[in-house]
Amino acid sequence: MNRDESIVSDLSCWATMVVFIVGLVVLAVNLKEVQIDAAPDYNYEKARQSVRRVQTAGPRGRILDRRGRVLADNRRCVSIVCNAAHFKKKTWDETTRAIIDEIDEIGEILGRSTRLTERSIRRHVNQALAIPLVAWRDVTDEELAKFSERDRLYPGFSVVESEERYYPFGSLAAHLIGYVGHDRSSGNAGDEKFNFSEMELYGRSGLELYYNGFLRGVPGEKKLLVDARGFTVKEWLVAEAARGPDLNLAIDADIQRVVEDQLKGVRGACVVMDPRDGSVLAFASSPSYDLNDFVPSLPHEVYNMYLNDPAKPLLNRASGGAYAPGSTFKPITALAGLAMGYPADEQYDCSGEFTLGTLKLHCARRWGHGPISVRTALKVSCNTFFCNLGCDIGTNAVISAARTFGLGSKTGIDFTDDRAGLVPDDAWKRATYGERWYPGDLAQMSIGQGMLLVSPLQMAVVAGAIGTGYLVTPHIKAGEVSVRRPLPYKKRHLDVVREGMRLVVAGGSGERGGEGVDVPVCGKTGTAEYGSASRRKKNTWFIAYAPAEKPRAAVALIVEDGESGGATAAPRVAQILKRIFNAR
Amino acid sequence: MPGRFRYFNWTMFVAMIALIATGTMAIWSSGNARAESVFHDMWIANLVTAIFGLAAYFALAFADYRKLLSWAAVPSYAAALVMLTVVLLVGSKVYGGRRWLWFFQPSEISKLCIICLLAKLFGGEPRRTFGWFVAGCALIALPVGLILLEPDLGTALTLIPATLLMLFVARVWRRGLLTLLAIGSIAVFAVLGAVYEAEKPGVTAQRSETILKWVPLKAHQVRRVRVFLFPEEDITGAGYNLRQAKISIGSGGFSGKGIGKGESNHLKYLPQAISMNDFIFCVYAEETGFIGTLLLLAMFGALLIPGAWTAVVAADGCGRLLAIGVSTLVFAHVWINIAMSIGLVPITGLPLPFISSGRTFLVTVMSGLGLIQSVSMHGRENKNELVRMA
Repeated sequence: MNRDESIVSDLSCWATMVVFIVGLVVLAVNLKEVQIDAAPDYNYEKARQSVRRVQTAGPRGRILDRRGRVLADNRRCVSIVCNAAHFKKKTWDETTRAIIDEIDEIGEILGRSTRLTERSIRRHVNQALAIPLVAWRDVTDEELAKFSERDRLYPGFSVVESEERYYPFGSLAAHLIGYVGHDRSSGNAGDEKFNFSEMELYGRSGLELYYNGFLRGVPGEKKLLVDARGFTVKEWLVAEAARGPDLNLAIDADIQRVVEDQLKGVRGACVVMDPRDGSVLAFASSPSYDLNDFVPSLPHEVYNMYLNDPAKPLLNRASGGAYAPGSTFKPITALAGLAMGYPADEQYDCSGEFTLGTLKLHCARRWGHGPISVRTALKVSCNTFFCNLGCDIGTNAVISAARTFGLGSKTGIDFTDDRAGLVPDDAWKRATYGERWYPGDLAQMSIGQGMLLVSPLQMAVVAGAIGTGYLVTPHIKAGEVSVRRPLPYKKRHLDVVREGMRLVVAGGSGERGGEGVDVPVCGKTGTAEYGSASRRKKNTWFIAYAPAEKPRAAVALIVEDGESGGATAAPRVAQILKRIFNAR
Repeated sequence: MPGRFRYFNWTMFVAMIALIATGTMAIWSSGNARAESVFHDMWIANLVTAIFGLAAYFALAFADYRKLLSWAAVPSYAAALVMLTVVLLVGSKVYGGRRWLWFFQPSEISKLCIICLLAKLFGGEPRRTFGWFVAGCALIALPVGLILLEPDLGTALTLIPATLLMLFVARVWRRGLLTLLAIGSIAVFAVLGAVYEAEKPGVTAQRSETILKWVPLKAHQVRRVRVFLFPEEDITGAGYNLRQAKISIGSGGFSGKGIGKGESNHLKYLPQAISMNDFIFCVYAEETGFIGTLLLLAMFGALLIPGAWTAVVAADGCGRLLAIGVSTLVFAHVWINIAMSIGLVPITGLPLPFISSGRTFLVTVMSGLGLIQSVSMHGRENKNELVRMA
């Protein structure tokens, strides 16, 4: 048989075979492109759609006082959470419904309904399906026991442990320590490379806020494998979260407690500092509040109560308050005068009042002190003397002395509130009141009145600086290195003021400031008047340092609306100094 | 006839057994990911079906295809037409198509019936006239038309190239066939061009509608063509399947995730309804990687190349046409299925021979291969005589 006569030629058969081979090779080449060349891209795509990265929260570091006593701690917090993967239903509505139904049932068993609303559950299902939904946070042992009895009926719910902030001393140093909150709601990743973040405690005020980055737990990472609908299929740990470091404070809880006892029942503040290195030993503002009320978050009623309280408990008066320093400013005026060459023995005659044009300023002693020198003027807190002195040396000298002591600017403390206060001058007055600076303003400022504003923290720094001759930057964290700047005053000038301040306690206006203290105390009272003429009120101050020769403690204490510095503030400071210096 | 066993094509047979094993594994793996337990045992059903398929295979292989064609080709074609008509009237509806009659799909079986009839008609003596061209086209068009009515575009798409190629190699009025081919190509490009113009970015809805009015495709087909043209768009909607198919295949990489460990399937990113059928290649490719897909292509090669070789060595036109028709049908299924999974052609619903779970189709393909084996075993008489004479 002749091949050419065949109905189907050999060529056709061979051609068919070639088509098959070419076809298969084309597929192989394309598959190589997809599976070899583009494999990394597709693997990335796959990971992007099926892997969720979760940032896990580590426990926060503790806050300790200088002797290692725990001021802010963590405690175990048990939560009951819902895992949506157990509620796979045809529609999202059915899933949400099923979750709500079981949450309601468990709520009855626990005797406590969840704080979740239907809307928040729906939102969780829509946005954060892959991670557990916290239904009950911080359940009690009793509630946990009730749930454990029936937990087999609810496989979609599990018990997880986390840590919650706890303040063993309650209200102690509340303004200083501050409080935390759950700043990020779970589900919203703060860091962009994560899909979800576990709920993390976040400092909201005080040291918890200032040192938030330090205290914060080292976050870990978890990866979730999710299916096409977003339910978690599997999870694995990438990096374990770790506890944040402990924060050691210079604060001494014992001194802090005495300070707070002295402020009990009054509005006021007190700062105790070691003037040698700036360590803050106590830092109190009164009235205070219990920090544990803020865990996990402050109830609205309590918050409103605090907010509407005329005593303003939420206000941190110690470093955030601004008061006229009153007579506690007089040592600064004295130093300014001495530095300008005013002799220490030169006297002014005090007639009981200081007149300058229409301005009349009364002295503490209505009938006058008679001829008086600077030491005695400090001792008895003679207004006339310092008004005269101030007017003699001039505005610039007084302002520059105030600024030399750091008034009018932040202290540089490692804390959230660091109020600069105010040292007024001509430019400021023109800008604020549209008036020029009058000699009367100078006279007022020389005795710490007028527009001058300081914080108790600043005054503690001032007291310490007079005692040591060095202006330090206060610090709360232990071991911080402070900046120490020597005061630009001669030692003999400083000694005059120190002697004057010693006299204040030794028979002067602040006699009770050294009562019962085993070491010699130097101090200065202050009674700053404020308010309208008809309803004069007095903020009463006492600043001190001790021992007189080599000061180891500097104190500034203010009581709002007290009687006088000598009667109200000084005795409280004496109690504090006794706790520090007297052997027990 | 023990002598006939000499010409039993072992390569083709072993390749087929290997493909059945591979398919059973792929079905096991893809069924395991499903929640419904009925899918977990699908691989057993596949094995059982393969046994029936083997019975048909050997029955057809050991029968002489010439005798078979002479008495069975016309009645089976007629029966196919009847079944295709009946299924349109009483068939059960699955995924929008009326394809099932009791336990089988007539459209699958009818493919073989058409091929057999064409082999019988055009393999015996030269029929190259215009008249026979019209007759051939009509005989193809009738069942294909019925299949398109189901609708089952995939089956029609594989049947048309296989049958037209048979006519072409039988030299039935080639001018007409080439014209058909040209018209077909122009039509395909015209449709692609029209959809491109209508769907390209920045075209107003009104203009798009005006263009699409002239395109003879249904809305879902336009969507598939659009996904083919613009695969990056609408990846959560119409383009979702293709994108997930490519992610699944591509993430398999060189050596795959391991059998039974394909994530796209287990995490249900692959459309569940078709991961065991039309998209099973994606499951297989992710689990076995490029090595696995290459091996699969090799297995198909070991099946198809001997199929074409059978045509080469067959002595008569009927045998040659039968071998070419059946191998081309299988090839078309393989090529279109894999090509659509990686976006080389628009997505079309059609199974991958041996790998997809589909009982009628498995028996059909195995029967077809049995016919090729029959050609291999019985079709060399004339040639042997020729050799002896020489």
